[in-house]
Amino acid sequence: MSQAHPSSSGAAVASRRRARKRWNSTDLSLIAVFAALIAALAIVPGIPVGALGVPITLQTLGVMLAGVVLGPGRGGAAVGLYVLAGLAGLPIFSGFRGGLAVLAGPSAGYLIAFPLAAMLAGFLAAALLRRTRRFRVGVLFLACFTASLLLIHPLGITGLVVNGGLSVGDAIATDAVFLPGDVIKNLLAAGIAAAVHRAFPRLVPRTGADGPGHGGNEGAARTA
Amino acid sequence: MIRFTDASVTAPGEDGGSRTILHPVTLELGEHRISVIGANGSGKSTLLKLINGLTLPTSGSVSVDGLDTARRGREVRRKVGFVFTDPLSQLVMPTGREDVELSLRGRIRRADERRTAGMQVLQSYGIGHLADRSIYDLSGGERQLLAIAVVAAVEPAVLIADEPTTLLDLRNEHTIRAVLRGLPQQVIFTTHNLSFAQDSDRTLVLDGGRVVFDGDPAGAVAFYQELCLR
Amino acid sequence: MRGHGQLLGLYVPGHSLLHRTPLALKALLCVGASTPVVLIRQPITTAAGLVLFLLLMTVGARLPLRKVLGALVPALPVLALLALYSWFTRGPEAAFVVPGGIAVCMLAARLLTVTTPGQELLDGLVRLVRPLRRLGADPERFALALSIMVRSIPYLVGSLSDLRDAAKARGLQRSPRAVVVPVVVNAVAYAQATGQALAARGLGEHTDARDMHGENMDGEDSTDADGRDGA
Repeated sequence: MSQAHPSSSGAAVASRRRARKRWNSTDLSLIAVFAALIAALAIVPGIPVGALGVPITLQTLGVMLAGVVLGPGRGGAAVGLYVLAGLAGLPIFSGFRGGLAVLAGPSAGYLIAFPLAAMLAGFLAAALLRRTRRFRVGVLFLACFTASLLLIHPLGITGLVVNGGLSVGDAIATDAVFLPGDVIKNLLAAGIAAAVHRAFPRLVPRTGADGPGHGGNEGAARTA
Repeated sequence: MIRFTDASVTAPGEDGGSRTILHPVTLELGEHRISVIGANGSGKSTLLKLINGLTLPTSGSVSVDGLDTARRGREVRRKVGFVFTDPLSQLVMPTGREDVELSLRGRIRRADERRTAGMQVLQSYGIGHLADRSIYDLSGGERQLLAIAVVAAVEPAVLIADEPTTLLDLRNEHTIRAVLRGLPQQVIFTTHNLSFAQDSDRTLVLDGGRVVFDGDPAGAVAFYQELCLR
Repeated sequence: MRGHGQLLGLYVPGHSLLHRTPLALKALLCVGASTPVVLIRQPITTAAGLVLFLLLMTVGARLPLRKVLGALVPALPVLALLALYSWFTRGPEAAFVVPGGIAVCMLAARLLTVTTPGQELLDGLVRLVRPLRRLGADPERFALALSIMVRSIPYLVGSLSDLRDAAKARGLQRSPRAVVVPVVVNAVAYAQATGQALAARGLGEHTDARDMHGENMDGEDSTDADGRDGA
């Protein structure tokens, strides 16, 4: 319980493992609802782009939002939950797909990259925002875009090569089609996250690793 | 018996300061049915959440049957059931049957017994036929009934309801009021409906985070009306 | 607003051999049979895989062939493009083997989702997590998170399409921000309300169920998962 451990935000830096153990029911529910949010963003109609017609949807927007809104731990867990539930067969990936088959498809790499990218984006956002409070949207964009360049695109390209049988050059060319959309989506994610931070100032951990309880305290204070 | 001892709640403000949500209050709540009225933001919900430890007092203490909510929160929550205004935020599972079975998980170990018991609970609230309906396909009143059923299923000693009829139409409001009247346990509820508030043995009036009236429901309602007109 | 039934709705009720086969066995069969096809990438194994799963779907699960092939339709453009690309870069054999392998995996996964109720699939996923308990995973809370997620999707899709309509009405359909910001803010508020309600019901707290009920609660869990026949 968050309220029972007012000092937990400081203590949470201690270790990720322990921080995870301390997630309270509000953290659990935030993780679950953000997983559902990514699903909802993924299954509203998207636009097929590029040679392989991998659809551009708001799915990746949801992934980045989970990372920068919830922080690396809870955000990564939310995206992981989403991917697992989709692989188990819920039709919640873009284009109402679902099931293990997706792992054999050309877009498998992107899917595997999602939880990692959310964690990295969340980590970077928290680390950068601890140093500066200014240019919030810019900082958030930087966090999202770095995560997407370092993880989503390389792993996505790997997936195109391994599963789709594309040559590395063609895979990079196919992947590059997503870059402009990606920039737009990361900008969007940054703007949205900044707005959400304003609405729920205590939701986002300020002290480093995302300790538990921020959401819980917030709820208690707001509903008064 | 619920006991508030100098319990107060403050919340961190925007810029490092703090604002008081509930001023220190000392209360003993033992009556069968207690209603709490007051304007939005007067501290009603906070008062209710203190009782089951969802909110902990910043100073002072709250206890239920001698159990301190700060130290024995888990046990307190087993004694105190809480029904929220919006049943959709309360119901966790996709259908009523699954939700009531989730409630019963802790007390009934065998899945088949749990299933039977869950069905009995739903039937006793007259919603047995809705057991396998998606919660999104239920009417507001049916959902609120279900929310009360899943909380009451574990037979808490105290049932707390935070504005349980606010989202309901008149007919459903009467159903919920009748159900709450029929419950054997202690019931504490908040409401903006002054006739509903008088379905009680004792009424507290909150204003600006203070209990400004504590006594018989009719007197409380008269006092509150006066307060609002001032 | 869409019900969750649609979300878990790939399931086709029936009493065929495959409907009655336990989930674990079906999953093993599907993974076991599709993995070699993907790894070996020879026309003969790919063809064998396709025939095997088409037979399993039509004979084993008694599904009409039209419905079975219908499952592949949404993927057709991608498969066709892959076939073309493979033909030009590596010849006709690759043009069959690469998209064929993906089709086999799609059929295998479809086989599971079509013959197993959604809730049972989720329970299966929870059982899969159970051995990870030693690494700090908590299957109870995982299951709870899955349930909350599944039940929140229709709510969020509903609010997303409501807000899409609202944005369209105001001529803001080109501004995803106008749509997504309120959805996310709503989602956070909704998650916090749900978290409070969970805490109020004593659910989802990190201390495991053991100290609450005096003894191991996970031990009886398998009976529970098996006892469910899915919603």
